Amino acid sequence: MANIDELVAKLAQDASAVKPAPHPFMLSLQWLGAAAIYLAVSFAVFGLRPDLAGKFHNPWFVAEIATLLGLFVATSVSAVLLAFPDLHQKRTLALASAWMLALFLLILFFAWRSDTPPAPLPVHDIECTLGITMMALLPAVWIFYSMRKYASTHYRLAGGVALLSAFSVGALWLRLHEQTDSIVHVVEWHYLPMLAIGLVGLWLGKVMLKW
Amino acid sequence: MTDQNDKLEKLMKQSLNGDQRAYAALLQETSRLLRPFLSRRLSFSNEADDLLQEILVSIHKARHTYDGNRPYKPWAYAIARFRLQDYLRAHYSDQLRQALDFDEMEESLPENVTETGLSYESISAEVNKLPEKQANILQLMHQEGYTAREVAERMGMNESAVKVAAHRAYKILRGKLER
Repeated sequence: MANIDELVAKLAQDASAVKPAPHPFMLSLQWLGAAAIYLAVSFAVFGLRPDLAGKFHNPWFVAEIATLLGLFVATSVSAVLLAFPDLHQKRTLALASAWMLALFLLILFFAWRSDTPPAPLPVHDIECTLGITMMALLPAVWIFYSMRKYASTHYRLAGGVALLSAFSVGALWLRLHEQTDSIVHVVEWHYLPMLAIGLVGLWLGKVMLKW
Repeated sequence: MTDQNDKLEKLMKQSLNGDQRAYAALLQETSRLLRPFLSRRLSFSNEADDLLQEILVSIHKARHTYDGNRPYKPWAYAIARFRLQDYLRAHYSDQLRQALDFDEMEESLPENVTETGLSYESISAEVNKLPEKQANILQLMHQEGYTAREVAERMGMNESAVKVAAHRAYKILRGKLER
């Protein structure tokens, strides 16, 4: 008990005025804004797929892009909330990205079912995964750097969601840049690696976000 | 209850503005709040005290993640639970590692004794030279066939403490018998 009193006195002595962390929604907005600028610059440099206007007449493509965008937004909000010890007391919202991921996978399943006859596979494969990875590196570094400033009590989950968020930026960029109609290719070389990277994030979260 | 919540939130807001007295009062209140929570989950009061200190340091480090506009208690308990889980994880993995070492020792010791031709009597003599507590533990476990838990109950010790003492005794014995 005497130790506790001593510690309290010492901590109180060290305590100076502290600027509270911004609201998680503000942080998410900053992150979404930065990602939007990053995507806009990437499209300006690498270009959009030439058949994009036509692709927007395909409802499954629209649903895929919409849910991928939704996944990016949901994971961004979740990652920021998970960086706070008490999830900013918004537990349901912090776990909402799981629902968005389920919806995204469901849309992919229906898109695959409707792909008859199957679109021809492109000649490349792993180049797509590498492209997404390269594109996601900067957002991943940025989001982890931001999250390290706070105090996550769910560091594994936070790492997984953060990496999924960063890679969804890369996946979004490639889907709107590369002219590929094969959903099998897209699932195999775009989205499955993205989900696998999310699992790597569980480990990375432990390494980077533990405090 | 609401009054106490309001008080804690007010103290935290003042603390964030650099009020050291409010901060000391807040930490005292927090430790009063968390002590029963930890005592219910840990066997020894010194463990609870050590962990409470760690939690207070964590609260200090993470205080910028509290803005004063939401209830204080869930925030503080989230940090306390996180540190408790960390502590228990480390504690159990340590126990498991010790238990594995202990099993390895149990398996390897009779082999070495046979190979070196040592007799039961010579081992007993070495056991008797050990510190009293360690000798008693080994006698109870290996001559009378008690388990570590039963020995712990008989000697009024913690089971893991018995295993640790036995492990140390094996180490000493092994050193002596290998010479």
